[in-house]
Amino acid sequence: MTALAWTVFVPELFLLGAALLIFLLDSLGILRDRRVELFGGLATVAIVVALVGVLADLRFAPLASLATVPAGVVNAPWTLLGGSLVAVTSFGLVFQAIFLTSALLVSLASLSHPSDQKGAAIFFGLLLIATLGMTLAAFSADLIFLLLSIEITGISTYLLVGYTRRDPRGLEAAMKMYIIGALSAALSFFGASLLFSVYGTTSLATLGGPILYNTHFPPPLLGATSIALLGYGFLVVGIGFKVTVVPFHAWAVDVYDGAPSDVSAFLAGGSKKVGLFGYFLVFLVPILLSGRAPPGLPPIPVGFHVLIVHFGLPLQVVFGVMAVVTMTVGNVLALQQTEMKRMLAYSSISQAGYMLIGLAVATSPAVAGAVLLIFAHIFMKAGAFIVVGAVAGLGVGSRITDWKGVGLRFPFLGASFAVMLLSLAGIPLTVGFVAKFVLFSAAVQAQGWFVWLAVAGLLNSALSVFYYARVLRVMYMEKGEAVVVPIPAGAVAGGSDPPLLGVGGIGYGRAAAIGVAVAIIFAFGVYPQPVLASFQMAVNHLLQVL
Amino acid sequence: MTGLPLAGFLALSAVLLGIGIFGILTRRNFILLLIAIEVAMNSAILNFVVFGAYWGGVPGYGIEGQSVAVVLIGLAATEVAVGLAIVLALNRLRGSINVAEATVLKL
Repeated sequence: MTALAWTVFVPELFLLGAALLIFLLDSLGILRDRRVELFGGLATVAIVVALVGVLADLRFAPLASLATVPAGVVNAPWTLLGGSLVAVTSFGLVFQAIFLTSALLVSLASLSHPSDQKGAAIFFGLLLIATLGMTLAAFSADLIFLLLSIEITGISTYLLVGYTRRDPRGLEAAMKMYIIGALSAALSFFGASLLFSVYGTTSLATLGGPILYNTHFPPPLLGATSIALLGYGFLVVGIGFKVTVVPFHAWAVDVYDGAPSDVSAFLAGGSKKVGLFGYFLVFLVPILLSGRAPPGLPPIPVGFHVLIVHFGLPLQVVFGVMAVVTMTVGNVLALQQTEMKRMLAYSSISQAGYMLIGLAVATSPAVAGAVLLIFAHIFMKAGAFIVVGAVAGLGVGSRITDWKGVGLRFPFLGASFAVMLLSLAGIPLTVGFVAKFVLFSAAVQAQGWFVWLAVAGLLNSALSVFYYARVLRVMYMEKGEAVVVPIPAGAVAGGSDPPLLGVGGIGYGRAAAIGVAVAIIFAFGVYPQPVLASFQMAVNHLLQVL
Repeated sequence: MTGLPLAGFLALSAVLLGIGIFGILTRRNFILLLIAIEVAMNSAILNFVVFGAYWGGVPGYGIEGQSVAVVLIGLAATEVAVGLAIVLALNRLRGSINVAEATVLKL
């Protein structure tokens, strides 16, 4: 048995420590008029340190000497971990790097909030706790550990959405997200309890494999296989709410619209991805182990028999259908939106549909393509929400038609937003194109009905170009004058997006975040090999471990 | 485990989940909604307790059932605490905790 030391959690300890320090400093009232610099600086440093730690654990060459996880522990077969809650896989580490990158982008952008902003401690502290939940989820080898980590993220994000407390839109969004989140948690845990009833364990390596049964079991109501399938059904729905899969997507549009833009960026770039990671971790085992016994079957207790199950095809069909429906509904509804943030929210839903193709196909190149799209989505979508926050802070309205001439009046913001939209649409030379290319070609290579998933994805990408192009046309082709935003009664001046300070009125931190996002979109769009190769290796390791 | 049939417990937890989901979908008062959420959570907790006891007779299996139940009770309490915080802020802002009046964001 390979021992797991506490040093595995060093990056997470930095996040937790910084969050606690922020809450402590806030209650002591230190540096009240510079609190955004203080708390934001602390949060950003902690996230950078954690990111360095994770890259070191991935044996990223220049940092490898800093690794806190012994090499033998990474990618150890799960059966050797003996019922452990935690396993370190390079797949999980890659996702940790993805989560931390999205948190870094958001905390960097939020450094430009006004220095004495109320609720700064809540914002940065909860951002760290939510990130902590996401990174813990990436370690899970146990269903309950995974769901609890997702809940840590969920509970902190409900509060993040409503952190301004005086803004009715933010609070209403928080309330809606809370109700849906609590419902999804109850459904997920009920599904987990059904799987536990059949398997007698919650270890992710065992769930979805062969079922043990004796003469007392299956219970008289339903067979063991049906109960397990029912459990998976509840998990599909429960986690599906987090991933914003159609038909469980309606809340996301309101929440992304009502939340402050920086929080929307975090929701779309980070916390939604933890749901997708959960999907991969929970459902790859039953899909891959379908119809066969795992290599290291644990000893069978006396009086029990082994039942080989075939969950693969039903689950793949479910995810394939959900992928097509999600991307189509997301794109069709995005076409009809007049509000910028709602359009971005629907576009985010349709992107979740593309990512699900990876799970439906479940071959190593397809999963790697989905991971690349998840990675790219941080810079495209979170970046876009960060730009929207900056533009709103400059006094431009929230409707798409309010953005007349924004591209010429604010050249940096306009050009960055254009790059992000082109990447979302999948135009060549951007990382969005590379990710979709890898994903769709993997689906075509898999043959059979998977080819139709690629066709649906291609048609949807073509459809999505229309609404992205419409925004570009408004931004560059239509002449606009300064738009005065009417402030709704009862709202704080500036709404949920505060005005910003620094270069050109958008703030140094925000300018840096946007610049980094654009640079990465181009860099990995032109030269994706290194990042794609490392994702591919991580996925291969995961598939071997299972 | 002897005595009560397993199917009875499964049926009870299914009914609890149904009541919870029905409450979440129909209640307009946020406090009643929190109670409905709690009921739905408890169906999962009940299942973990029952099947932890059921698998308890098999060495190496079902050991986590009871402890998971305790952790989930903690999670449910945390969730309700956050829900109450949102209710308080909403009530301070609008003087109402009726979910149906939340119409600033169009659906």
